[in-house]
Amino acid sequence: MGPVLEPSELERFEAVMLPHLSAAYRLARYLTRSDYDADDVVQEAFLRALKYFGGFRGEGASQSRAWLLAIVRNMAHTWRHRHRADASATEFDESVHSEASTGEHPEALLSRTDAREALTHALDHLPPDFREVIVLREIEGLSYKEISEVVDVPVGTIMSRLSRARKRLQDALIDSGKEL
Amino acid sequence: MIHPDVEAQVDAYLDGELAAMDAVELEAHLAGCASCGRFRDDRLALRTAIAAQIPRVQAPEDLRGRVRAALREAAAPSRARRPAPLMAWRWLALAASLAVVAVGGWRLGMEHTASEILTDEVLASHVRSLMPGHLSDVVSSDQHTVKPWFDGKLDFSPPVHDFSGRGYPLLGGRLDYLDGRPVAALVYGRRRHVINVFLWPADGPEGAARPVVRRGYYILHWATPELAYWVTSDLGLSELTDFARLLRLGDSAAAASQPSP
Repeated sequence: MGPVLEPSELERFEAVMLPHLSAAYRLARYLTRSDYDADDVVQEAFLRALKYFGGFRGEGASQSRAWLLAIVRNMAHTWRHRHRADASATEFDESVHSEASTGEHPEALLSRTDAREALTHALDHLPPDFREVIVLREIEGLSYKEISEVVDVPVGTIMSRLSRARKRLQDALIDSGKEL
Repeated sequence: MIHPDVEAQVDAYLDGELAAMDAVELEAHLAGCASCGRFRDDRLALRTAIAAQIPRVQAPEDLRGRVRAALREAAAPSRARRPAPLMAWRWLALAASLAVVAVGGWRLGMEHTASEILTDEVLASHVRSLMPGHLSDVVSSDQHTVKPWFDGKLDFSPPVHDFSGRGYPLLGGRLDYLDGRPVAALVYGRRRHVINVFLWPADGPEGAARPVVRRGYYILHWATPELAYWVTSDLGLSELTDFARLLRLGDSAAAASQPSP
């Protein structure tokens, strides 16, 4: 059964957490890669957040956002596990996407009209661990410390993971440029 | 050749996350090393491209409404005794979908402990069915294969329909055990979601209960004069209600076309 809450507590929860609805939706969307499933994940995440809201001690918009996004992320990973998606789509072949990509430089590639498509495709095909740090940093603008709270790994790991994720994005873009 | 330890430092530097002393050191290195300088320019181009090309989509407005409704339902001290006013639309939506068979104003009493326990049983069965190898005893999208499969296994013949044409394909069926008796479980799909339909002969009055959400799964329950239905899935409520409507239509249509026993 759900928690029994005073109406004022629900109002407080909504005032603190609902402003982060779109951030939650974006993260869920990038992790599930589906609008429908993002809907479900977000709803589940808000219900879970309400349940544990009593234990939330953070202050300010950035802390409540990180707290909510951590729940969204966990729900999305649970969802992924449940549906066993992603397994094939995100396998990354180091031998193909390696330093050997010596073709065009990203500047030239990104000026093309299909840059958005190439970038979206590259982002969607990053492994989830890399996709989430890119989304949290580049789209949500979280600090390394906030990302480390959401993903629950040390800041140093976030730093190296982000760097590797960006390298993969660049390599994938160069690779897709060759195929055009 | 880029100095390997410089890559992550450049990223942190561009992210404004490098300590001031390290940043000064890195700037000096970048000024004197052409390949690392070029690396920084590439990363700048990537960041610019992401900022320009990846849209910051907003959550759909109806999602906000659904989240708030779900929160209200979860926060209500007792959903059955004191339905939150904002949840009324959900009940109305289900009631409207079920209006094809005259339900009247009656509802099954979900407040009874027995019913709560049954809800837990249904949910547990659903979750168990999602484990590998547990979903179906008979795997078929053909209702004429699934329906006869139950012959001799149950003391009733469950109505089986395929709704592939409506986006809810029949995936199979299995025997389950609920409420102290063997029951029919029909498995339907919706994209990657699984819907379990549990049904068995009803001995209670006709009616429908309010939708229950538990651990992220919706549970719908209604009873016809012949059968009790429990439907559960991690689908959103609107789609699950849509499916329940098809199920009722399919079953009532079948009943109408069959001679009474």
